[in-house]
Amino acid sequence: MSTVDDPRKALEFLQGTLKVLILRSLQAAPNHAYGISQFLERQSESEFLVDNGSLYPALQRLLQRRWIAAQWKKSPNGRRAKYYRLTTLGRTQLVAAKSKWMRFVEAMARVLAAQR
Amino acid sequence: MREWWSKIWGSLHLRSGLQNDLSDEMQAHLDMMAAENVERGMPPDEARVAARRQFGNLTRTEEKAREAWQFPRLETILQDIRYGLRGIRRSPSFSAVVILTLALGIGANTAIFSVVYSVLLRPLPYPNGERLVWLGESTAKYGGISITWINFQHWRNENDSFENMAGFANEDFTLTGRGDAVLTHAGLVTSSFFQLTGARPAMGRLFTDADDAPGAAPTVVVTADFWQRRLDGDSHVVGESLSLDGKSYEIIGVLPPGRRFFWNPVDFYLPIGRSAGAHLKRSEHGSMRALGLLKPGATLTQARINLDDIMQRLAVTDPGPENDHRAFAIYLTEATVGNVRPVLLILMSAVGLVLIIACANVASLLLVRSTARTREIAVRVAIGAGRARLARQLFTENLVVAGIGGGLGLLLASWCLRSLVLIGPRDIPRLSEATLDLPVLVFATAITIVVGLLAGVAPVFSAGKVDLTIALKEGSPTAGVGKRGQAFRNTLVIAEIAVTLILAFASSLLIRSLIAAQNSDPGFDAQHLLAIELQLPESRYKSDENVRQYYGQLAQSLRAELGVEDVGLVMCPPGGGDCGDYWYSILEKPPLTRDDVPLSLFNIVDDGYFRTANVRFVAGRAFNDTDRPGGSRVTIINEQLAHQLWPDPRLALGQHLKVGGTYMEGPTLEIVGVVANTSQMGLDAEQMPTFYYPFSQKPDSAMTVVVRTNGDPAQWMKAARRRVSALDRNVPIQSLRTAEDWLGATLERRRFATLLLGLFGALAMILAAVGIYGVLNYWVSARQKEIAIRLAIGASRSSILRWAGLHAARLAVIGIVLGAIGAWSASRWLESMVFGVTARSPLMMLVAGAAVIGIAALAAGLPLWRATHTDAVRNLHQG
Repeated sequence: MSTVDDPRKALEFLQGTLKVLILRSLQAAPNHAYGISQFLERQSESEFLVDNGSLYPALQRLLQRRWIAAQWKKSPNGRRAKYYRLTTLGRTQLVAAKSKWMRFVEAMARVLAAQR
Repeated sequence: MREWWSKIWGSLHLRSGLQNDLSDEMQAHLDMMAAENVERGMPPDEARVAARRQFGNLTRTEEKAREAWQFPRLETILQDIRYGLRGIRRSPSFSAVVILTLALGIGANTAIFSVVYSVLLRPLPYPNGERLVWLGESTAKYGGISITWINFQHWRNENDSFENMAGFANEDFTLTGRGDAVLTHAGLVTSSFFQLTGARPAMGRLFTDADDAPGAAPTVVVTADFWQRRLDGDSHVVGESLSLDGKSYEIIGVLPPGRRFFWNPVDFYLPIGRSAGAHLKRSEHGSMRALGLLKPGATLTQARINLDDIMQRLAVTDPGPENDHRAFAIYLTEATVGNVRPVLLILMSAVGLVLIIACANVASLLLVRSTARTREIAVRVAIGAGRARLARQLFTENLVVAGIGGGLGLLLASWCLRSLVLIGPRDIPRLSEATLDLPVLVFATAITIVVGLLAGVAPVFSAGKVDLTIALKEGSPTAGVGKRGQAFRNTLVIAEIAVTLILAFASSLLIRSLIAAQNSDPGFDAQHLLAIELQLPESRYKSDENVRQYYGQLAQSLRAELGVEDVGLVMCPPGGGDCGDYWYSILEKPPLTRDDVPLSLFNIVDDGYFRTANVRFVAGRAFNDTDRPGGSRVTIINEQLAHQLWPDPRLALGQHLKVGGTYMEGPTLEIVGVVANTSQMGLDAEQMPTFYYPFSQKPDSAMTVVVRTNGDPAQWMKAARRRVSALDRNVPIQSLRTAEDWLGATLERRRFATLLLGLFGALAMILAAVGIYGVLNYWVSARQKEIAIRLAIGASRSSILRWAGLHAARLAVIGIVLGAIGAWSASRWLESMVFGVTARSPLMMLVAGAAVIGIAALAAGLPLWRATHTDAVRNLHQG
């Protein structure tokens, strides 16, 4: 067990974070599963590497909660793909979760970065 | 919630659709990745393979995504059940102990619950039974005395809380003209009675208001049982007549079988208004009580206030001795159950405690086994079983075991229940109706599941905490023996000892009470005493002189029988209960206010009774020939009554007892004697004040003849029957028993409760012994190596014994202290059932404590012996 974090390894998702991240990735526009994982990798500068084994079940759970909805559509380059979009319920959940996480992250940062 | 709905929806419609959808979606995902690889310059084949690699495990992803929509699949549950069954077969002795323990706990609880349900909880078998109210009058001192006919009429017509009211009373009649004369029991009821109890005729009709009016033609409705037994089930019986006390009654209807309202079954019903309707005075009390059907929404309190208002109004318009009387009203359910409730609740709690012990035992056994299974669980975790999946499997296994235990328990319960109903006292209402019906089965299922889950909690939690690296390493038997597990097992032992002590204390109290009651002095010599209960038919013995003559001749005839030493007469023998009570006052004492006038039982005895029964005289004389009818009226009182009024019973002699008290009519009697108390209400009941009339001055047609014999009185039963029948074959013998049987019957309920509680106490002790043995044995096994080392470095066997014994003793002491505290606070509930000893008897606590310590020591003995006989050399070499 090492005490210093290895920067070469991608971060693991904390409990509950993947759902928020998926919601966030759909905020601007609907997207498909592959697009979502690309978006998260890009935005986190590859700190988050999305495992499809987690992504797909998470999408199903969000569908069950009616936070997102799915529809088959043609992509810009002419491929058929299943697109997910935020529902109104999902949007309110995202707003709530976002402010909660921002507070959490700032508080963590303040504590960890404290001088003494 | 939302997830569940969509799961249900999904399982109904989407399952197959979703599957295709998912693979399509993932195929599209792969295509996109492959296309990007091609754009980067890979050849198409390689690009597809690379995409597959990048994506990860396709099948597993699809499975996991699908699982999000599914309930645990039936197949996995079945698989877990199969696995559980295999586990049972693999360790049969372990499983047998667990299953047997559960079966005992669940079986006993189910049996007692079905009694509780039948007696206390099941709705009454009448339409709107929950709104039926039992009504009587009350005075300042006594609630539930009879209602006078006139008051009843006022209540019935002037109240606005009841839909309907019905009066009822009991009376005995002698039936003649159909074989031998027999004593029969009648319910006297108003015509509304059958409406309230929801009875319909099986044949003919029931009473109308016309039948119930004074001067109406005499009619009778017979019960199905009487119709079968006495009227030979004759289908043309309607219209025939019955001769009751020499008067002819027309049979107008037959009731269907199965309906019972009165405690003691009645043979037929007569309209009460024919006779009681003749009462003109508001203070004329008979023995009538009433039933009322509350209007929907009306409360019992409102109804009481309503009836009290009527009584207050009547006190103005029709003043008299009834002025201060008020209404007494309780729900019929309560009136039916009466004082059985505390007994049953105590039994239910006791058997619940037994279940707790059983549960603790099973929990500790399962915990031990889960420790043995640590490696198996570790392997499962290592090859990918999630914690939830593992917990589900262990719970399913425990439920399988509990289910088998519960099934066996149900068999056990049905067997116990049959014996319970057989040995149960007859005076517990509806006990015989107790069966394993739906609510009882639901109860049994519920406790089985709860027990399965509770007992399984500890192993499931410890399984979740398995440390793979330790558990998988070869030969680490310490895995799972962690401090937490041991602390949990110690807690279970402490709890078992505490609960067992509570049960042991309760049973020892009851056993002590039963012994005290059985040995309590009944106030007379019950040995070699035969009691013949008779009822002379009024039609044949109309005058007092006829009655006196009959009993005189019978006594003479019985005295002539060889071996009969003496014969006496008593109206209500000891143990016969309350055959009548009335107000009284002493003329020589200052008058009391109306509310303070005391009640006393009264009885009638002849001049031979006290001598025959061997009742001790405290002061004065017995009745004798000088107490002639028409002469100066005399009475003998018992010690209890004398003690309430005079410091020395001798002071009572020559003073005068006014029957009826200061405010009611009644004769004045001179007190000529004081006798010892006899157990009128039963051996375990309080002594009641009693005064005795001489039979010569107040003859009664219903008397009990007591016969003192010079051997086992049962031998004279035949002779007694012969002599009674020889004198007049139309006189029915109501009962023929020895006085000892008669008295013993008063302890029926106490015996029943004591027997059951004693059984539960014994069961608790056995289970606790098994539990203590199991836990200590395990404690020793887990420490074999430590003990071996201690021995190897020079510890003596006695120091090992001290060390292990101290561990056991510590648990026992904590358990005993906690149990004593529990028993002490529980003793309050037992107060009503304790006799001849206080509920907080330190001696009984000591006895119970000693018994529990004895059992614990016995159970701890073998493990401790094992501890001291550890073979150090072999044990250390093995390691």
